[in-house]
Amino acid sequence: MADLDLVDFAVDYAREKGASYAEARYEHQIEENFILKNSVLDALYFGEDNGIGVRVLAKGGLGFAATNSMTRADVKAIVDDAVKIAKAAHRKDPIVFPPEAPVVTTWSVPQVKKLSDVPVEEKIEEILHIDRELTDLKIKMPARFFQQGNKQIDKYFVNSEGSRIKSFSPRVRLYYFLTVMANGNVEQTYQNYGWSGGWEALNELEMRRRVIDEAKSMQNSVEHGKKSPEGKMDLVVGPQVSGIASHESCGHPTEADRVLGREASQAGKSFITPASIGQRVGSPIVTVCDDPTIPHGIAYYAYDDEGVKSRRRYLYKEGIINEFLQNRETAAILGTRSNGSARATTYNVEAIVRMANTFVEPKDWGFDEMVEGVKSGVYMKSFMEWNIDDRRYNGKYVGREAYRIENGEITTPVRKTVIELTTPTFWGAVDAVGKDLEIFHAGFCGKSDPGQALDAALGGPTMRLRNVTLR
Amino acid sequence: MEDTAERIVNRAINLGCQDAVADVAVNRSYQIRFAQNQVVISNRWRETTASAFIVYKKRVVASDIKDLTKLEAQVENLVKIAKASQENPDYAGIAKGPFKYDRLVVDKKIVDLTDGSDHVQAAVGAALEEGANECAGSFWKYDEEHFLRTSNGVNGYDRRSSLYLSIRALMGLESSGHGVACATKLSQFDPAKAGHKAGRIAALAKNPVTGRAGTFDIVFDPLIFGSLIDQAGGRAGAYSVLAGLSPYAKKIGKKVASEAVTITDDGSAESIGRRRFDSEGVPTKRNTIIQKGILKTYLHNTSTAKKFKTKTTANAGLIAPDAHALFCKPGDWTKDEIFEECKDGLWLTNTWYTRYQSYVTGDFSTIPRDGIFRIKKGEVVGVWKDLRLTDNLINVWKSVVGLSKNVDQVQWWGEVGVPTFAPYALARKIGITKSAE
Repeated sequence: MADLDLVDFAVDYAREKGASYAEARYEHQIEENFILKNSVLDALYFGEDNGIGVRVLAKGGLGFAATNSMTRADVKAIVDDAVKIAKAAHRKDPIVFPPEAPVVTTWSVPQVKKLSDVPVEEKIEEILHIDRELTDLKIKMPARFFQQGNKQIDKYFVNSEGSRIKSFSPRVRLYYFLTVMANGNVEQTYQNYGWSGGWEALNELEMRRRVIDEAKSMQNSVEHGKKSPEGKMDLVVGPQVSGIASHESCGHPTEADRVLGREASQAGKSFITPASIGQRVGSPIVTVCDDPTIPHGIAYYAYDDEGVKSRRRYLYKEGIINEFLQNRETAAILGTRSNGSARATTYNVEAIVRMANTFVEPKDWGFDEMVEGVKSGVYMKSFMEWNIDDRRYNGKYVGREAYRIENGEITTPVRKTVIELTTPTFWGAVDAVGKDLEIFHAGFCGKSDPGQALDAALGGPTMRLRNVTLR
Repeated sequence: MEDTAERIVNRAINLGCQDAVADVAVNRSYQIRFAQNQVVISNRWRETTASAFIVYKKRVVASDIKDLTKLEAQVENLVKIAKASQENPDYAGIAKGPFKYDRLVVDKKIVDLTDGSDHVQAAVGAALEEGANECAGSFWKYDEEHFLRTSNGVNGYDRRSSLYLSIRALMGLESSGHGVACATKLSQFDPAKAGHKAGRIAALAKNPVTGRAGTFDIVFDPLIFGSLIDQAGGRAGAYSVLAGLSPYAKKIGKKVASEAVTITDDGSAESIGRRRFDSEGVPTKRNTIIQKGILKTYLHNTSTAKKFKTKTTANAGLIAPDAHALFCKPGDWTKDEIFEECKDGLWLTNTWYTRYQSYVTGDFSTIPRDGIFRIKKGEVVGVWKDLRLTDNLINVWKSVVGLSKNVDQVQWWGEVGVPTFAPYALARKIGITKSAE
């Protein structure tokens, strides 16, 4: 860890140089990634990220500068840079931040088994063990790829309003990509699970079971999968599908910076406008939340990267567009307060509006109950291909693991079920929401320039959609 | 910084490593982001990162070292980690130097540039002039010095400086166009041209109506065609092939595109991706990936080359090989001829979210964004929206019938990651889908 006095110095010096507001974020991230391809440990990546980013408001412009050299001279130099480029903005409408009370606190995520205490050998053995169990299945798998990643993130945030926040956030991920072949058919999958906490993650997430179950389902699909039925019918989707839909067609379009056009050239805009608050976008049973305070969600945080306390945000509430994700900049434009959505991937990029752990709020339906109510339809447990337009209006999900539902019973596996629906059509068709909330599918959510691929959890319970078009 | 790279390599070798590579990068890049026709933030970086690659008894460890004040301790820790790791039997070493490199080409005017606001104004002004009412984008001055040392005798220096601007122009939420400008010489940087293009497409894309699904002939604008070239180049990486992330496995010598298509990767050529050497220090060169529709090679580092019984193509990254800059050989059609030959089709100007159902088969879809135009007998007769290109990568490439004589250098956020030289292209019978009612 560096000399943290430099962080305070950066803020004080920025104010001296004429910044109306200044913040500095020091981060020290230890990152390790184990890359296993076809049973061979290709490489182990070990990085120790370390540096400071300074953001200032001066003459109505925003400036940001960063360095990894934690010396007084270099910190001074980036403050000079940030103030100078902020002043050069010459904006017609000055950027302002709504006031926030100063916060002085420390927060951290507990670890049952500290990442730093687990030897490299043990971590490697865990991945090798999963790979061995896979190969023992004797399924034809021409390609197997695993990436197990661990991060330990220390931050110290200071701003000119008096906030001083220290935090520690350990995170664990397991990504895998599998290819199964049989009878001339090929099935591929990728899955990404994440956890805020220690090495207990792999047990808590039951990763061994999940990988094995998935490989077996892939074999079942390539060997016995039938063509998916087409036409209008009922669809039951698993937590992974409701999770991606929450993220793509609710979380993204309710990001205030996207609504306001700040991301127009990169991650795009939104079909939602400031005037859309209060409008219906889904059925009354649909409530989609984004919540950084979910324990062990990979995007857990107590305070965001602007020092604002985190809280649950109800983005779609009972089918109505309810709230945007806000940082201080967007909140000022929209005449509201930040709801703690500002995050940055590392010290060397600005904090922008981001989702955290996004999910459909569970209700009280049981899985069997939902299936029993379907005369003819499909259960799409997971997906492979997906995409959505930059307004977040036209989404597509193609089934990975899917089954035919006939007369209330799950029957044969079906392949490549396609749903290609608008956002209101998708959410408007939901008539039942389960109680089986899962929130540990993890994504690298992409946004901003330079690109910030950020930890985000995508979750939800099983849901039933009535009378939607399947292809 | 030469010292830093050398110290890393020497320390690793002294600690028993068989191979070591250190690439110390000094980043002095600068960026302006703009939205709603004005600057939203400016960013500047003063960073020095030592990327290290060490191998102890075939145990491979890669790292980015940011705290250079504790260099020795950091390398010792990496070696300790390597000793605890597992052997990679596929590891086949790093290239043997020393090498001679091409003359360094850097435009001092770019290196000395401290303010890019005029370039932003030029782009925004041009787009507004065309009729757009909202512009957003980024201006970049990239400036990185690289000091490379390897335990196999490589001693390389490179400076990679370039200018880049990306602008999206809008006339309302559903009418937009995109333009980019890329240059390694200030005198060749033309942000106004990018602005005009974005604005012109936005103005033309006014009042779109929901399109229909079907099979259409497609005129690909360079930005979206660049995305397809990027897909072809990325899937040709040997690591992608080995990991099951490519439809090109076992297809060397086979037809993967139409005869009109020749794609090369060339890190040594003039482009914003130009570099003198790859991550092992091998001088970059031209590699033909697809020649007249036939797959000729994958992109390799030393280890993947050995696995495929061939030589490195000078595309080493720290762990996996990557393309540097992709070039689609121009055709002999004029841009007008490309459009004239499209009797009943669509002109797509940009795309994003290219995703695969199966990398092995190449089944994918991608979502056109910005202007989507209905073409009949070579003329724009309508503006559509809400469509998706749903097809197969190899099929799309086999369907290309014509390429324009002129190519544009394009790169774009998320979708065209590698600088790419792309012509206008005409492809026949491409699948288009849309959301169900």
